[in-house]
Amino acid sequence: MATGTDQVVGLGLVAVSLIIFTYYTVWVILLPFIDSQHVIHKYFLPQAYAVAIPLAAGLLLLLFVGVFITYMMLKNQKVTKKAQ
Amino acid sequence: MTKLAQWLWGLALLGSTWAALTMGALGLELPSSCREVLWSLPAYLLVSAGCYALGTVGYRVATFHDCEDAARELQSQIQEARADLARKGMRF
Repeated sequence: MATGTDQVVGLGLVAVSLIIFTYYTVWVILLPFIDSQHVIHKYFLPQAYAVAIPLAAGLLLLLFVGVFITYMMLKNQKVTKKAQ
Repeated sequence: MTKLAQWLWGLALLGSTWAALTMGALGLELPSSCREVLWSLPAYLLVSAGCYALGTVGYRVATFHDCEDAARELQSQIQEARADLARKGMRF
C-alpha cells in the first residue's frame, strides 16, 4: 500500500469524484422526474447550468492546455536558438 | 478493425440515436421530463467519464505498492556510484 500523503491524496480524489458524480446524477437524471414543488430543488441550480458549467469548464481546460503547449514550444525554440 | 475505428463507430451510433430521438425523427411522443434528461445526456456521459477517470487515478495512487526497502537501497547505490565516479574524475 502507498504511504502517507499518497494515500490521502488518492482517497481524496476518489471522494471528490464520487461527490461530483452523485450530485451531477441527481441534478441531471433524477430532478426532472421530481415534482417542481419539492423542497429538494432548493439545493440545485436551474437545469440549464447542468450543461453550461461542464461546457465552460471543458473550454477553460482546453484553453489552459493550449496556452501551456504554446509556452513550452516557445521556450524550446528559445533554447535551440541559444544553442546555435 | 482498429480500436480507434471501434470507438468512432460506437460514438457515431450513439450520436445518431441521440440526434434522432431529440429531433423526434422516430415519431415517439416522450414526456417532457424524459426529453429534458435526453437533452443533457451527452454532457452527463462526458462528466461521468471524467469522474470515472479521476476516481480510477486516485484509487490507483492510493493503492500503489511502494517498496520502501528497495527505494532506500537504490538511493544508497546511487550515492555510491556518484562517489566512485567523482573519484575517477567525472564532474557532475
